[in-house]
Amino acid sequence: MAVDKSPAVSARAVSKSFGQLLVLDRLDVDIPRGVTYCLLGPNGSGKTTFIRAIVRLIRLDAGELRVLGLPVSEVDRIYPRIGYMTQHKALYPDLTVEENMEFYSGLYGIKGQDRENRIEELLRMVTLAEHRKRLAGALSGGMYQRLSLACTLIHEPELLLLDEPTAGVDPRLRKTFWEYFQSLAEAGKTVIITTHLMDEAERCQMVGYMRAGRMAAQGSPEEVLQQAGLRSVLSLWLAEPERDAAHLRYLGYEIEVAGGVVNVSLESHAQIKEILAEVSPADIRLSEPKLEEAFLRLSEGA
Amino acid sequence: MRPGVQRMTVVALRIVRQLKRDRRTIALITFAPIFIMVLFGYSLSGEMTGVQLGLVDGGDHPALRSHLESIQDFDILRLGSQSDAEKLIAEGRLDGAVVIYAEEVRILLDASNLQITEAIISAVKDGLGQEGAGRAPETFLVTRYIFGYDLEMIDTIGPAILGFVVFFFTFILAAISFLRERTLGTLEKFMVSPLSRSEIVSGYILGFSLVVVIQSATTLFIVLYLFGVPMRGSILDAFIITLLLGAGALAMGSFVSNFARSEFQVVQFIPVVIIPQIVLCGVFWPVQSIPGFLRPLSDILPLTHASDALRAIMLKGASLSDVFTDFVFLCGFFLLMFAAATLMLKREVG
Repeated sequence: MAVDKSPAVSARAVSKSFGQLLVLDRLDVDIPRGVTYCLLGPNGSGKTTFIRAIVRLIRLDAGELRVLGLPVSEVDRIYPRIGYMTQHKALYPDLTVEENMEFYSGLYGIKGQDRENRIEELLRMVTLAEHRKRLAGALSGGMYQRLSLACTLIHEPELLLLDEPTAGVDPRLRKTFWEYFQSLAEAGKTVIITTHLMDEAERCQMVGYMRAGRMAAQGSPEEVLQQAGLRSVLSLWLAEPERDAAHLRYLGYEIEVAGGVVNVSLESHAQIKEILAEVSPADIRLSEPKLEEAFLRLSEGA
Repeated sequence: MRPGVQRMTVVALRIVRQLKRDRRTIALITFAPIFIMVLFGYSLSGEMTGVQLGLVDGGDHPALRSHLESIQDFDILRLGSQSDAEKLIAEGRLDGAVVIYAEEVRILLDASNLQITEAIISAVKDGLGQEGAGRAPETFLVTRYIFGYDLEMIDTIGPAILGFVVFFFTFILAAISFLRERTLGTLEKFMVSPLSRSEIVSGYILGFSLVVVIQSATTLFIVLYLFGVPMRGSILDAFIITLLLGAGALAMGSFVSNFARSEFQVVQFIPVVIIPQIVLCGVFWPVQSIPGFLRPLSDILPLTHASDALRAIMLKGASLSDVFTDFVFLCGFFLLMFAAATLMLKREVG
């Protein structure tokens, strides 16, 4: 079978309004397969609406939306291949860990030994194997979240849509989740995540920043920083800052002197070596730009 | 103000504030009591219309005859013989009959409805009384119960209680668990799975039908063996009617849960869905005493048809084919509610 190279999600001029409120405004986006993709944006920017449109819990007013190469309306062919996790955990507290997983296996027609293996593997992944006989309602918040993720993954979906999957999860477990999302992407699955946390966004291979129902910026985190015109800054503590600043400026660097510290905007990290060949600072510090700044700048500029 | 009083006031004020925001509850606590009071009031007013009375007229006692005919609440059907009247009463097509001879007036009755029985007897007595001086001195008044002479109160309402209990509990159960599916987020997850909407509703009804089976069996057992209500028809037929009613209640509960956002709001459906059925089903108060404008409502309520069928099966020994109309109605009600529950799920897609 030929490998399907079509994007995991492809939106063309997609619009949706609720009453007077335009939530998606001719949104264009292509989310390639096999990546972790982070959907960012302020509250009300249309992230959740877009996700719900992808799983067709919302019908679009206009535009074309394709999911896994199919028109979004072909739910019979799409639903078996996607996993969707909302902030509601969608578990039955009065069933055990194992029974919850068996239930979701059943919905996707996973039976017999297949089912056993799959449950075993997932419970190990989310480190709940020794809790399989416990009632889901008796689990801690983090465990509950892990079980919810395991249930979402039961049918090995090609496209995973996760709405704030790490909300309320402790930092150590968050790291585990992210490692798993990366491994899914490496295995060719597409993971689309919404989050408010910029440090999570930076872990994604691609980020999309939504604003007022449109995609304000998209690409790898580095690309987005460049689009926003943000650079790394090298701070230098020098004995004679004014003199060295003038020298560096003469060499063509973009310089700013503040409180005796010389800040150099870098076009690339390779410049660090060149600068250190020219001056001898007592101390240096490299400040990488934050995605957050990029997004602030993008939302102001747009 | 003492701190205790102050804290108490804080709680009270909060409740008032929340109530003010919940318009549905305000509407309900205002209108539901009015609605229910009116229902009860009308049903208990004692005014009866549409009593089906057979009349076998031997030509004597014209005053009695014209009195009976003048009563607008009675629909008089003239019959040729007493045996015709007995037959129609036994089939449940007449509420009673009056057979007029010169020396004797016989009242034939269906005792399964005491209010109607009394209305007929007092009408005949009034009619004879109006004959005044011209009346034959010795006219015997004979009352015979063609049907139900051995029935007690519990026998006539027992079948309806059976239907009511099954309907009430399955309705509440289905409504609350379907609502829970929504609040847990699992319903949304179903929507994005290969599970179709009708599969969701069918699965629900199938799962809970176990509850309906157990509930039907236990309530039927109690009605028969503890209350001693007779079972003159087939117990299987009664069971089938109860199951059908339960299935309708399950589907209706699933449908109605779409309009509730909390368990509290599900409970609010009780005065709207359950109580009118008790008042209007024609068991605790006869359909004939329900004012005309409410009767069409009574006719479309599942409990009306279920208790009608159950009474016929249990007390009169009717078979399923005898109560075919009720059977068809209950099937129709189930299918309608099933379709409504499925369609409502679809509407979730905005």
